[in-house]
Amino acid sequence: MRLEDPHALRALLDELREAGAKLRRRPQHETLDALARVLDGWSDPGSAWRARLLEQLPAATGFSPETVRAGLDLALAGWSGDALRELVQRELPPFARLGSGSPWTAGFACTAVLLAGSIPMPTLLSLLTPLVLRSPLLAKCASRDPVTPLLVAGSIAETDAELGGCLRLVDFPGADPERMAALLEAECVVATGSDATIASVRARIPPTRRLVAHGHRLSLAALGGEALRPSLRSDVAERLALDVALWDQLGCLSPVAVYAVGDAAADALAEALAAALAALEQRMPRGRIDVQTASEIAHQRAEAELRAAAGARVAVHASQGTRWTVVREDACAVRPAPLHRFVRVFALSAPAELLAAAAPYATQLAGVALEGFGAETPTLARGLADLGASRVCAPGALQAPPLGWHRDGLGVLAPLARLSDPELLV
Amino acid sequence: MSTTGRPAAERSILAWMREPLWSDDEARFEELALALFAHQFERCGPYRSFCERRGATPSGLRHWWEIPPVPTGAFKEVALRCFPAERTVHTFRTSGTSTSLRGELHLDTLELYEASLLPTLCRFLLPDLSPGQPEATILALAPSPAEVRDSSLSHMFGVAIRELGAAGSGFFLERGALLVDELLAALDAAPPQRPLLLCGTSYAFVHLLDELERRRTTLRLGAAARIMETGGFKGRSRSVPRASLYLALEQALGIPLERIVNQYGMTELGSQFYDGVLRDPESLRRKLGPPWARVRIVDPETGDEARAGQTGTLVIHDLANTGSVLAVQTADLGRRIEDGFEVLGRQDGAEQRGCSIAAEEMLEGAHA
Repeated sequence: MRLEDPHALRALLDELREAGAKLRRRPQHETLDALARVLDGWSDPGSAWRARLLEQLPAATGFSPETVRAGLDLALAGWSGDALRELVQRELPPFARLGSGSPWTAGFACTAVLLAGSIPMPTLLSLLTPLVLRSPLLAKCASRDPVTPLLVAGSIAETDAELGGCLRLVDFPGADPERMAALLEAECVVATGSDATIASVRARIPPTRRLVAHGHRLSLAALGGEALRPSLRSDVAERLALDVALWDQLGCLSPVAVYAVGDAAADALAEALAAALAALEQRMPRGRIDVQTASEIAHQRAEAELRAAAGARVAVHASQGTRWTVVREDACAVRPAPLHRFVRVFALSAPAELLAAAAPYATQLAGVALEGFGAETPTLARGLADLGASRVCAPGALQAPPLGWHRDGLGVLAPLARLSDPELLV
Repeated sequence: MSTTGRPAAERSILAWMREPLWSDDEARFEELALALFAHQFERCGPYRSFCERRGATPSGLRHWWEIPPVPTGAFKEVALRCFPAERTVHTFRTSGTSTSLRGELHLDTLELYEASLLPTLCRFLLPDLSPGQPEATILALAPSPAEVRDSSLSHMFGVAIRELGAAGSGFFLERGALLVDELLAALDAAPPQRPLLLCGTSYAFVHLLDELERRRTTLRLGAAARIMETGGFKGRSRSVPRASLYLALEQALGIPLERIVNQYGMTELGSQFYDGVLRDPESLRRKLGPPWARVRIVDPETGDEARAGQTGTLVIHDLANTGSVLAVQTADLGRRIEDGFEVLGRQDGAEQRGCSIAAEEMLEGAHA
């Protein structure tokens, strides 16, 4: 990884375009086979690359080693080479029949990838997917995770040297306009980041250039009466706690608010969730946080305590220090989410209220964990999807999206592809 | 406890504020803080319940720093007053939009508010006032209190102008527009030997700089001039680092950096803090305040005092807050510097509500 000047970045893009042209002369199945082997390696808990990530990521990101291990074990279990092949078949059906008269699918001459955050799975996927389309890529690493891109690039190069030569990593401050302008000259840009980052990238790219943007997202959870029966409550609370605690709630699939039908059910769920987070803290401690975050957590807790003192039906369940917090809220409202294992529990008077409660989050909604609504489940799931949720799943599964999850309502591979209909050849 | 409903400590606090010489008397602060806490514990139900949940009662506390602070965000949610609502004489509100909740400071008297702000302002902004020179030209880049009655900043400027302002003092932001021509005329008319205070929000100064640049005008204000700016930029449409702003002000107005003072204050507090540069130009720039307000730098993980040099949450105990709660946990981070502190910015997720924002919204509205 190098700190390139703008001229060097442009030269690197040209080198990558050449490498991509060479790659595209190889049979397509070779590329896919190599990438499938890479993914098989990452999904194997015993692989050397996983071991190195486990060893290096905690120090680089602040996550506890236990959190990294649990997060990788859960998320990568289903990310196999076969899953990649299925994804290709699903999203790029003409792929296997190039030149047969069906629509042609091709990657761009070069793809620029702007990585963000500190969770490794999105980084892994972002670095693999352009290569599936045989588009070389220049990736700008995220300041919060300098480890994962290097290891992923290393795993690709080790598996297939030519493929490895089609991926280059760079690092420079995102605020550097000249370097950013050079990077964004790639034919396709994949940007992940805050809404401000996405807006800034969008403003710098001509409308004719492909931009695949993933902005700020969050997730929710909702539990109906069936899931909150006393005999089931602990189980669902433990699964929800895992959704909250994994990656210290920093992922777009981390729930920040949980809805339960009924006041008593919400009270009981908040207590059970607090107990589950306390138990998780013992075996999967939250990572380090900065003083700003700790201060905000303390502030939000104290504010909730004062609302409780003023007579609102609010309860604060919290650890010593700031390690986890559950606030049983009085009324449905959008409130600050300090993250890092800080979750609010709201009561709904009826399942039908869920969509109205979730509506304020519509533009930023990623996933919703849903359980216990019986026959109403399909209607609610459809309503949440209509609101904007790209994933509705069971509690405990939020942090394990399938490889083909339509993040932000988009395909995984299709947005990175150019399709062409060669009618004259038919 | 007073039978009038007012805190018995109030007269003593007022007397302290009116003493010509400040004394940093820890024992006095402790006695008055604990007495005021006892009053607020008794009169403000939500606060009493909040304290009880934390195991804090008047009989159980020994030191002022043990008084539980209320987070600033709570002023949006709960009416924190120690008197019946019908005795409210004034309410200051944090800036915000019509759809957002705004923090409110309810007052049953303005006497302490004004008694606190005047000597503090004089000490840190107008130390050159004297019996022979009791007035200053005060030009406020802010709307008048008549226009925004619930702005604590406008009220503060209004009191300063009323009590200390010489002829020509006034407000130069009206219905969202900066009155640049009038301001330039007032600056021109100000006697050069008289102290001149140009005060306003950071954003108002940015707009003034823009307008001076547009007119290709620079000013050379005299040695008696100084600037007070307050508020921040975070989360706003335009952001100018403070150092850049000060350099631009120096170049455009001819006021040197050491005569530009940042004020740290908030609607929820009766007292304010200022850079000590005018009084103590040789020392590190740091915030100083009156002896009846104390700042703690608190480790948010433990609630204990942060170690020397460590960044923490700013918690302020302010005896001017007689009618609400005297201990306030801010959303700001800071660090101790010598006998003062520096503000390191607001928590990322905290809602933005500085005084500067309302003025910016007004200015942007005027330019739309």
